[in-house]
Formats: sequence, C-alpha cells, structure tokens
Amino acid sequence: MKNNVRVERAIKNITQGELAEQIGVSRQTINAIESAKYVPSTILALKIARVFGKQLEDVFMLEDQD
Amino acid sequence: MKPHFLFPYWCRYLGYGLILVHIPITFFGKMHGMNNIMDNNSGSHGLFTSEHLFFIGTALMVVAGLFLVAFAKEKVEDKQIWQIRLDSLRWAIYLNYLILITSLVFVEDTGHILELNLWVPLVFFVIRFRWIIFRLNRSLSRES
Repeated sequence: MKNNVRVERAIKNITQGELAEQIGVSRQTINAIESAKYVPSTILALKIARVFGKQLEDVFMLEDQD
Repeated sequence: MKPHFLFPYWCRYLGYGLILVHIPITFFGKMHGMNNIMDNNSGSHGLFTSEHLFFIGTALMVVAGLFLVAFAKEKVEDKQIWQIRLDSLRWAIYLNYLILITSLVFVEDTGHILELNLWVPLVFFVIRFRWIIFRLNRSLSRES
C-alpha cells in the first residue's frame, strides 16, 4: 500500500511531530508510515485522513501486488 | 490503543537500576565464597540458607530488572510499538525453545538449562526490541 501522507503533510504545513500528536501516536510511527515501512491500522489510517480533511483513498492507495 | 499489562515508563529506569545494583552484590558474594545454587555440586540445599538468599539477591534481582526493562511502556505506546513488542516476544520464545530443546537432548546439566531458560527470553527480547526502536529513532533523526 502506498500513501501520500508526506505530501498532504507538506500541503497542510505540519511536522511529523504535530501530526503524531494530533492522532496520538509516536513520531516514529508517522515516519515509518511515510517511508512505507509500516502499514497503519484502519483506525489510524482514518484518523490521518481526517486530519487532512480527505477521503481515506485520497491518502492511502492499494498497489497491484496488494 | 490502551497498553494493557505494561509497567509505567519510569519502571524501565528502575529495571536498569536493579541490573546495575546486582553487579556489586554478585562481586561481594563471590569474594565471600558464595556459590550459584543452580550448580549441581554447589552443596547448598534448602530454603533461606545464605546461598539461597544470595541467589535471591542476585539472579532474581537481574530477572526482575530485565522484566521491568522489557515490559515498561514507551513514552508513546502505539500499535507499531505493540507490534514490535509482539514480534520480539515471538522470536524470543522461538529462540528459547530452540535452545531448551537442543540442550535437553545434548546436555545433562539440568541446573544450568533452567538458568538459561531464566535469562534467554528476556535478554533476547530486550536486545531485539531496543535494537528495532533504536533503528526507528536513527531513521527519524536522519529524516530531520
């Protein structure tokens, strides 16, 4: 699964730490999600999308191999 | 994510303290000729003998310390940390049983097999868990 959390975060002009704080996770988790090293749970993905005011599939996309 | 059954964050430092404190106690005990009661030929039998108390003061202190280090909450305990915890625990159990089964087949000294069983899961869990967290922190500082 790929995502554009980094892009959305840049548009909204917030840091990894601020995003992490808003959704109640560690900064490491945001970094791991952005680097596609960690696939978030549905709840976490929904929370991230809500912070950006986007639909889930605007932020997280399935890849062919998923 | 509610981290159930984990000690508060500060317990990690209490754990490190217990591990450090055991070093001079062990050193002092060895200087006064205390043997490990897990040695079959230690000659010490029964509860609350001086050697049994020495064992409580050292080995169990380290195990309690390792236990606190292993199962204290991180500053932010989220699902990713939880997953790393579970993965590390799984590998620790695999390794422990691999060593246990191998030593049950090839080693006669049951006292030391028990001692090994006491350390291996906790030590391996702590090393693997802290290593993964360290790598996450390193990649975080590289990003910023």
